[in-house]
Amino acid sequence: MDLGLASDDLDKCVQCGLCLSSCPTYRVTGDETMSPRGRIALMRHVQHRGAPLTAEVVDAFETCIQCRGCEPACPSSVPYGHLIEQTRSVLVASGASTPWWQRLAFRQLARPRLLRAGTTVLALAQRAHLVPQRLGLPARLPLRRDPHVVSGRDVYLFTGCVMDAWQRDVHHAAARVLEAAGCGVTPTGDAAPCCGALQAHAGLLDETRRLARRMIEQLEPDVPIVVDSAGCGAAMKDYGRLLDTDEGRAFAERVVDVHEFLAPILDRLPTVDPLDLRVAVQDPCHLRHVQRVHGATRTVLAPFVRELVELDDDGLCCGAGGAYSVLHPALAGTVRSRKLAAITRASADVVASANPGCTMHLAAGGCATLHPIELIDRALSEERAPGRPPRRSRRRSSRG
Amino acid sequence: MSGDPAVDDLVAALGEALAPDRVRHDGAERALLSRDASVFEGGVAGPVCFPVSTSEVQAIMRIAAAGGHNVVPRGAGTGLAGGAIPLGAPIVVSTTRMNRILDVDVDDRIAWVEPGVVNLDLSRHLGPLGFHFAPDPSSQQVCTIGGNVANNSGGPHCLAEGVTNAHVRAIEVVLPDGEVAMLGGLDAEPLGYDLRGVFVGGEGTLGIATRIAVTITPNPPAVRTLLLSFAEVVDAANTVSAVIAAGCVPAAMEVMDQRITVAVERYVGAGYPTDAAAVLLAEVDGLAHGVDHDAETIATIGRANGATDVRLAANDDERALLWKGRKTAFGAIAQIAPDYYLHDTVVPRSKLADVLEQVYAIADRHELLVMNVFHAGDGNLHPLLIFDAREPGVLERVHLAGAEIITASLDAGGVLSGEHGIGVEKQQYMDRLFTDDDLDHQDRLRRAFDPTCRANPGKVLPVGHSCADIQSLRAVPTGVWG
Repeated sequence: MDLGLASDDLDKCVQCGLCLSSCPTYRVTGDETMSPRGRIALMRHVQHRGAPLTAEVVDAFETCIQCRGCEPACPSSVPYGHLIEQTRSVLVASGASTPWWQRLAFRQLARPRLLRAGTTVLALAQRAHLVPQRLGLPARLPLRRDPHVVSGRDVYLFTGCVMDAWQRDVHHAAARVLEAAGCGVTPTGDAAPCCGALQAHAGLLDETRRLARRMIEQLEPDVPIVVDSAGCGAAMKDYGRLLDTDEGRAFAERVVDVHEFLAPILDRLPTVDPLDLRVAVQDPCHLRHVQRVHGATRTVLAPFVRELVELDDDGLCCGAGGAYSVLHPALAGTVRSRKLAAITRASADVVASANPGCTMHLAAGGCATLHPIELIDRALSEERAPGRPPRRSRRRSSRG
Repeated sequence: MSGDPAVDDLVAALGEALAPDRVRHDGAERALLSRDASVFEGGVAGPVCFPVSTSEVQAIMRIAAAGGHNVVPRGAGTGLAGGAIPLGAPIVVSTTRMNRILDVDVDDRIAWVEPGVVNLDLSRHLGPLGFHFAPDPSSQQVCTIGGNVANNSGGPHCLAEGVTNAHVRAIEVVLPDGEVAMLGGLDAEPLGYDLRGVFVGGEGTLGIATRIAVTITPNPPAVRTLLLSFAEVVDAANTVSAVIAAGCVPAAMEVMDQRITVAVERYVGAGYPTDAAAVLLAEVDGLAHGVDHDAETIATIGRANGATDVRLAANDDERALLWKGRKTAFGAIAQIAPDYYLHDTVVPRSKLADVLEQVYAIADRHELLVMNVFHAGDGNLHPLLIFDAREPGVLERVHLAGAEIITASLDAGGVLSGEHGIGVEKQQYMDRLFTDDDLDHQDRLRRAFDPTCRANPGKVLPVGHSCADIQSLRAVPTGVWG
């Protein structure tokens, strides 16, 4: 079966196996079918040797978290992420993967009002104890959200889909920090409802392209697009390759992770007393392995907390993987246990992770996790008005 | 269901002894476990087992013994000599789930580990205690201690510290009949024959290690890492020989030629000079004053032998990056061509320069690209033949050139393998190094452990000296993925 994979890309893998230890699913199963080397070999078997697409082969592809931790470990620079994404998209098209109800669910991500209404229903249900904990939802979904505020046009702040419905407080914190650095912020709100990252991981590449084109149309050119979700940022930085258009490439150039944006202008933030916390940095995979700007998180966070501590697991994935933790709860849970053990060894007061999926997944495992920007915002707030969140001037409300 | 009732019964029995989800017999699993990191194809895996305890390995061995089935152990599958390639659809025993570090005793400097513990994980675990596990194969981030024991693996830092054999005290082994034996002991000089020494490097033909007591080594108080550039590969080789002759034994001395340096530099960006014909990466460790002295000695000898540049790694980060480059060298070559055949021979250090020149000439004659990266201090050559297997006839040329490289090494007084093992790769060359008598005695030793020849059959000993009928193992049964 033709998986539409470029032979040159497939052939780059010399099966040395140096990727094995950086693969979370191989780490917990010890099984070659759950490893990058194994998955690439299976792609070759299917595409070049006509091997059947058995349930085990499909399972090998579907259980990949797409953390892409194997890419920095690969001395041959195999573009694994693109290979697995393309493979998944062919599986979807052939009906072997991602059944209709999942596709339907993914489509709702780009419908912000529905998402918010659904969140409110879920939040009410939670308060009535009708939502089982094993679903891995945040402990208390918000019943209501403060509206986004436009404070200027220096930067866009991309607000996204689930994160905006469930963790809008993080966006507010990011906006306050950006404003403290002298930037006027325009939250993108419903104008650009979803980046399409989760859809791409599920192999729904056409849906991602549609959302990418829509976002490029909706947002004004030349304004930097600051992103506080590692997964969204990685996806949006890939629009150039995904769409293969000049518009896509130009757009991707403007996308910048919030820490990456703040690091070079850190001196614009006021000097404040650091929070008295020992903070463990848990890098989201798509910040560390894909965007590779995780150094900026440390640069930006360091002045605002007493101590930063590294985990000793070489940036292994936590098992969140966007929708992965919902679709493969058992495996995601085992991978998370490994991460939680590393976190325990670091004996930190709090864990900082710059991706909504990771914070929710870790929180569902009983580990209090904050976005780094929330910690910075807290340090700045305590300085400005001890015990009270700061007020911001409101020029006008955006939609949402 | 395989369609063969006997196989189905075997899979069911194994599943009952372990757990059904830790025994796999599907096409995907079997296809993947038919290969390791070597170029050898033609392996066929039978049922694949993932035991988690000594008693489960015992159960597998007993089932295999009762049914007359062969058994092949497998760690991470990073071997380059085909040692883990299953021949004749044997039961494959993956040790990857036996990955616990059982006990660390810093007073006696011993760690008990299960065979599936990743080499680097052990050193990471020991780091906060001020120790590490000395053997450091280039694949240490993924390869297992069990695999290191099976292949008596080396690594850059084995020059001063010795290879795996020097760091293994005792091994709990499940023999092919299912009995458990403890080989060696924690005493410095255990009584009796050194059966532990026999087992280390046994390549899975003597049984399966289930618990291993290794010596842990204190981290050195000071380390200096030097990078020397040369205009000729021969100058680098001569420097290595001269350093050891001068009475200085560094922790590591590694040479890479220009082609490999260029590929590596593109991946790690460690600041390797891409215009030098060869670089020598040398590391000394010990007390601070001693390492400065040794570093100066190496620099002086290097300059006397034509080093064009001598650089001292400024800090730990720079040092780590240089080593990352060296250790990922083999993988990095895919940037040049999709396939490689990595050789592994050892020659006397004084013959390094001479054999290297022959290696380049052999590759030229067969119109192949060769890169050289090697544990120079040990005289352990790793010529890397690079090719694209899709090119018709190229694989034959690669094998011919490989045979000539081996012959050149043996003629220079060298041996077949430094650290990768014999596996299926060097079997047919064993008779060039050993007489018929030697090989028959080796076969007898092997039979003392495995009288019915069911542990990793068809490896190490060549046809005529092996109890296994190697030809019949190579026949491919039907119904297996191409």
